[in-house]
Amino acid sequence: MMSQSSTLAQPPATRGVRVAHFLRNYYIYFVLVAVVALLSVANLDKFDLFERGNFLNEKSIINILRVSAPLLTLAGAFTLLMVSGYIDLSVGSTMSLSAVIYALLAINGVPFLAAFAITMVAGAGLGAFNGFLVVRLKITPVIATLITLSLFKGMALLLVQDGVSAIKSGGGQKMPGWFNSYGREGTLLNLPMAFWVAVAVTLVLVIAQNRTLLGKYAAATGGNPTAAKLSGINTGKIVILLYVIVGVSAALAGIARSSFMSLGDPLSGDGMELTAILVVLLGGTAFSGGEGRVLRSFVGALIIMALTVGMLTVVPAYYQTLVLGAVLLAAAASNHLISRKETAS
Amino acid sequence: MTDQSQSPVLSVEALTKDYPGVRAVDDVSFSIESSTVHCLVGENGAGKSTLIKMLTGALQPTSGRMKVRGSAYEPGNPHDAREGGIATLFQELHVVDELTVLENLTLGMERSRFGFLVKSDLDDRVVQTLAAIEPSIDPSARVSSLSVAQKQIIEIARAASSGASVIIMDEPTAALSEREVARLFGVIRRLRETDVTVVYISHKLDEIFELGDAVTVLRDGKHIVTKPLSDVAGRSELIEMMIGRNVFQDYTPRTAVTNEAVLIARGLTNKLLKDVSFEINRGEIVGFYGLVGAGKTEIARALFGADKVSGSILFKGQKVGNSPKEAIAAGIALVPEERRTQGLFTSLTIRENIPVMNLKRLSNRGVFRSSVELEAADEYVGKLNIATSSIDKYAEKLSGGNQQKIVLAKCLFADADLLLLDEPTRGVDVGAKAEIYDIIRSMADEGNSVAVFSSELEEVLGICDRIFLLFDGSLETEVINGPDVDAAHILNVVTGGRGGAVQ
Repeated sequence: MMSQSSTLAQPPATRGVRVAHFLRNYYIYFVLVAVVALLSVANLDKFDLFERGNFLNEKSIINILRVSAPLLTLAGAFTLLMVSGYIDLSVGSTMSLSAVIYALLAINGVPFLAAFAITMVAGAGLGAFNGFLVVRLKITPVIATLITLSLFKGMALLLVQDGVSAIKSGGGQKMPGWFNSYGREGTLLNLPMAFWVAVAVTLVLVIAQNRTLLGKYAAATGGNPTAAKLSGINTGKIVILLYVIVGVSAALAGIARSSFMSLGDPLSGDGMELTAILVVLLGGTAFSGGEGRVLRSFVGALIIMALTVGMLTVVPAYYQTLVLGAVLLAAAASNHLISRKETAS
Repeated sequence: MTDQSQSPVLSVEALTKDYPGVRAVDDVSFSIESSTVHCLVGENGAGKSTLIKMLTGALQPTSGRMKVRGSAYEPGNPHDAREGGIATLFQELHVVDELTVLENLTLGMERSRFGFLVKSDLDDRVVQTLAAIEPSIDPSARVSSLSVAQKQIIEIARAASSGASVIIMDEPTAALSEREVARLFGVIRRLRETDVTVVYISHKLDEIFELGDAVTVLRDGKHIVTKPLSDVAGRSELIEMMIGRNVFQDYTPRTAVTNEAVLIARGLTNKLLKDVSFEINRGEIVGFYGLVGAGKTEIARALFGADKVSGSILFKGQKVGNSPKEAIAAGIALVPEERRTQGLFTSLTIRENIPVMNLKRLSNRGVFRSSVELEAADEYVGKLNIATSSIDKYAEKLSGGNQQKIVLAKCLFADADLLLLDEPTRGVDVGAKAEIYDIIRSMADEGNSVAVFSSELEEVLGICDRIFLLFDGSLETEVINGPDVDAAHILNVVTGGRGGAVQ
């Protein structure tokens, strides 16, 4: 028996494979450190968002974390959905629509918690609708959510109407004082509520991914749908639930952004779907599903935001998008190389 | 059937399955004793797969009964079969690469409290099962880091730990190396010790003698015999039972065959092929016959330049084998095995499909001439007797046989001098089969050469002038077809019986 088993023993992982493994798990943190270091040595004198040429000061970091709140809120749920092999291109529109709903509620005198809760429920509904299209009507995810991208955005624009560009104070109506403070004013460690909500959402999703059936079934669904179904897993239910979670997260992201900007802008979520995809891919999530970690996407979001905000100063505006693309290309390439090394045993 | 006092774990009685026009399984009765390895053998088309599909609930029998441990067993789908204690090891692996071994083993059976995973005795049991059948696999390893053979073992462990009393394995060694096969056999033997019954299907007769306790032979959908392997004298007896007195007739020596070699292949070698050399003459139909995985498709793809191999291929004195484009230009056409995915544009119409390999003929200095396309389509639809109401019908709407004729028409329109046909009649009904054979013969009679790559003995014996026998990537020998060709010898060679040199 012993001799027989030894023939099947896996070859001991070579050093290269072990290194690749380590890199896959931790590279995102190195990238974060590298980006922060790079921006710290760059000359930021000209820009007053950062005080006097030093990126690593409290004010600028708080600033970045503040504006990052929407993306940080969204990244985790988006990761889980992509792990299950699905995608939601309507997140930006869900954000916009939620922002408008939230602002409308606030400006019409609905108290904070009620407005907050109603908007979250609305987000869940939008997510469920996506899930319905994809799972029950069996529309390809990209197409279904492209449709709702347009649909939800149309609804947001309709809600604003009347020639104004956004829901905001003016014309006899005024935003309540709490509206702005949620996304802007420091509470704990000088960081606003919106940021702490993003952290809480991420924590919940990290636990969900590692400790619950949902996390495991999402990976199984994305990794091998047939095997998942043959194992008796109701993959449709899992996918709908994930769309709902993405919807709620997008609603929270919408609340964070509208609060930060003090208005309900029907275009505020535009382009968010692309940023979310980039963040999740940067975090090492496989586009084909099965693979990906919530926490790494969170870090990926921090990197993107640090770069975006940091570059406002160092890099001329018309180069910024290009630099962002280059960073992502590098990330994608190294990711590919690492996983190739890992499997080449 | 046997006088053992032990009751059979699984039995079938007068089981019959009819397809339109053909009785695939015909009044089959036999039983399988508990805790044995029961082998199922038979030529292609003997009814093995149909029988298995009924056992696993994928197909419903036309008549007859199945029983598990004496009580009626009527699975409506594969899930019912699992509940009934019958698990199947599919050729396609159903494991999730991204999860760990343990996670895969418990997938769908996890214990949870409020949605949170909790550790359970199930985990321990599963680990024990795995350790019992293959102790070297680490339960915490990611499945993506395992080999195909190890993944297969995971599936077996999964079936065993889910309480399956019968595990059906359909050609489980097809994708395994020799060493891995030995491991798998170890696993199967340990399964038997834990009171699991294995139904083992394989074309490799050596495996059957090495592993099996009993064997059931099927031929032409009928049950021939079920008996302990210890009562089987040897390979030759088994082969005799498999082929019976079947006469593979309808081959008549053809006059168009010449001695002029059009294609000379020397020392073709790659991951699977081992130094394969042969010649194909003008006007000749040659057959490459062997089991799945013996190297047929690899040779076809190498000749067509679709895969790189070492060695040399000369076609009409010109070196080929670097790219399909070069092969087509030289006059070689390939009809791939997977015609729906590789040979046909199913979303195009018949008239658009026929000329695709030779679109130059349709154009006048780059200007497309639809009149030529129309003519060609009309011509070949008539010539090959393609049954369709219109040449504007989409290829996906046609039957398998007519689809195959369109693929052949493509090659004819391309003026190929050498046609490589990989499993040309797979999934084709009997009538269309005969027509396709006629087309092949007439193409060869016109001075073209045809190579047929097939795993059906009847097919190569029916149409080929010469047959190359393949086993495990080597060209073992060649056989000249004729009235006194020895089918038993051919079967012996392709199932690995070349005098002890194998494994």
